[in-house]
Amino acid sequence: MTSTRPALQGLIVWWRRLSVMTRKEMLQLSRDLPIGLLLLYSFTLAVYIAGNGIRSQLQNASMLVQDNDQSFSSRELIHKFRPPFFRLEGEINDPQEGLRALDRGQAMAVLEIPPRFHEQLTTGEPTAVQLLVDTTNAAQGLSAASYAVRIVAQFEQDTVLARLRGADTSSQNLPVVVSEHRVWYNPEQKDAWFESVSHLLRQITIFAILLPAAALVREKERGTVEQLLVSPLTPFQIMLPKVLAMTIVIVCATAVALFGIMRPAFGVPIRGSMLLFFICTALFVFSTAGMGLAAATVTRNQAQVGMLTLLVVAPMMLLSGLVAPMEALPPWTRHLMMLSPLRYFIDIANGILLKGSDLSIIWEPVLAMVVLGGGLFGFGMWRFRRQFD
Amino acid sequence: MNLQRIGTVAWKEWRETIRDRMFVLLAFLLPILWMMVFGYGLVQDVEDIPFGVVDRDQSSLSRDYLYRFFESRYFSFQGYVSDEKQAEALLQRGKIRVAIIVPEKFEERLSQGQSVGIQTLIDGTFPLRTDIVKGYLIAINSAFSGERLVGHLSRRNGVSVEQAEMQTHPVKTEVRYLYNEEVRSTWSMVPALVMFTLMVSSPLLTALGIVREKETGSIYNIYSSTVTRFEYLAGKLLPYVMISSVNAVFLWIIATRWFEVPFKGNLPFFLAASLVFVLSSTGIGLVVSLLVRTQIAALVITMVASMLPTILFSGLIVPVSSLSRGSQMQAHLFPGMYYTNIVRGAFLKGVGVEVLWIDVLALAVYAFILRSVGYRLFTKRPRS
Repeated sequence: MTSTRPALQGLIVWWRRLSVMTRKEMLQLSRDLPIGLLLLYSFTLAVYIAGNGIRSQLQNASMLVQDNDQSFSSRELIHKFRPPFFRLEGEINDPQEGLRALDRGQAMAVLEIPPRFHEQLTTGEPTAVQLLVDTTNAAQGLSAASYAVRIVAQFEQDTVLARLRGADTSSQNLPVVVSEHRVWYNPEQKDAWFESVSHLLRQITIFAILLPAAALVREKERGTVEQLLVSPLTPFQIMLPKVLAMTIVIVCATAVALFGIMRPAFGVPIRGSMLLFFICTALFVFSTAGMGLAAATVTRNQAQVGMLTLLVVAPMMLLSGLVAPMEALPPWTRHLMMLSPLRYFIDIANGILLKGSDLSIIWEPVLAMVVLGGGLFGFGMWRFRRQFD
Repeated sequence: MNLQRIGTVAWKEWRETIRDRMFVLLAFLLPILWMMVFGYGLVQDVEDIPFGVVDRDQSSLSRDYLYRFFESRYFSFQGYVSDEKQAEALLQRGKIRVAIIVPEKFEERLSQGQSVGIQTLIDGTFPLRTDIVKGYLIAINSAFSGERLVGHLSRRNGVSVEQAEMQTHPVKTEVRYLYNEEVRSTWSMVPALVMFTLMVSSPLLTALGIVREKETGSIYNIYSSTVTRFEYLAGKLLPYVMISSVNAVFLWIIATRWFEVPFKGNLPFFLAASLVFVLSSTGIGLVVSLLVRTQIAALVITMVASMLPTILFSGLIVPVSSLSRGSQMQAHLFPGMYYTNIVRGAFLKGVGVEVLWIDVLALAVYAFILRSVGYRLFTKRPRS
């Protein structure tokens, strides 16, 4: 009994210190009005704009047509180029006009249909349509070309099959492979789901790294960290509340984004356990905050920590699999990104929200994230101790 | 206005900046490092998509069909799966992104001249990837179908393979890729990264530099001095404009020499346009710095205000014309889009003032407005 009581008291004191420090961090954060407004904007309006506005698939590629045939067939082909993939900007008569429009970026593609197109098609002569594509944006240019080729191929197939069947009604069937796709988890391929989730993850990452890092470095800069160090607090008790306070704030903001914007506006589903999602979010914030704190211990002022976190955050955001799919990245990037907690969190968040995965399925990324976060936090602690002890 | 005073303020700012070794190092290192990492890392060619196969037919024809996927550099075979259930589980774990299911009697039906449906399950969490995967699948399927059809027709109608081919494939699409003839992702990304790097690093540098003076309180020396508002702001911004301009030149050298992206445009025009761009991007930093009191706020706000719109709305990844109307409006509100037009135009299209004057003008207007706002906001007699 006597031995447990001091231990219990110690725990109570420890707990009190923790909660007091966490409250201090919250207060400090709440006094910074610009940051508060920014948090609000980032987790509401910005998520809405991203979900509403960004389309990663080819969309409305502006296209000019030079129809040298002006026939039934050519018009039929042209009308197959329609939204959502293409948007016809108009007809031109002169090839130079098309090149000029491409130069100015007013059109992304120019389709040229040869004279006698209809005639050649009906007589079974080979013919060719020409497509000029602007590939200053390689991915989009390729995508536009591939859609255009697909549209022409479909048009061709329809004409050919119609002709073959028309000639010989006995063979309704031809030995062709019909593609039957089933897209899972996001059957209608709503970009809004992916983009709003992605954007939420981006916002969480930025704030999770920056807020604790800046808060710690500010104390270093102003010298108030010395006051904390002469208090009976251990370095761990100084660091942990910073991370805790930011985690609470960010998890709340995430809930606002999820229930205030993403569900009502885009109908983003939560197919898995909501509790698991928020626990994982907290873990992710914690891991990433460890990264920020580690950065804060190697820098002396806020300007430095800003530049240093930028150095880390930008690659994380662009290479972790939100902008370009992981499969698209070269192998060394994939290996490097094993160090990015965001890479795992993307799998976790998409897994829980869209795929309805439970812990038995996503335990691998969760474990990786926890180990990585623990390591980063430990490194930050070690640096902090060495600096002030 | 007194040029000497501007010079003095600029000199003071310069001294202050270079005394912070780490800051200077990062100010020059950051753009270069980003350029390297993204230039190599952000290649958007989707290859090696992991896929699994359920082969219910197990015939030589089904293997012949599947072989096209094994051989393709776009797909990476992860193994045979016994049934649909197992394929589902692998999809959910993200071990595969596509499952191809070859039905029973695949060979039988095709050799009898009947059509066969090939079912594919695609992971739809990433719409862009789903889209690309669908495109590849359709391409491989139609190539296979085409060959089967040609064989079938030549046998049935007793014509030569070439004739049958002409019958089934009368329309060719000749695609010409302009500006980036080999459609290299590096060529389109690297010039845009010049924009991204300058767009994010220069406002941050500026904002931090100015707020630092406010937060440490040394700005009171300025308040009580004879320096006018205009002189102070002009002198203060000069070093940051210089650093960013030097970075622009560095980035140009990396893009053309290291990544060997062709530069088809006019260099003096490009440099002049870059200077205009730097003037407007540092302007963002200026305005942010005047609105906030702490460096942390300056940092977070500049990052959110410059990085996210630049990733999303500048044309870096998604062309502005593909955005929704609201996002297009937002895109026009940030300088990134105009400069993307300029870099891609100058590097790849080889166009100059005659086409890009409107973008340069927009940037100039932007720079002017931001500076006027900055001038309005800055006061030597703060209320508190």
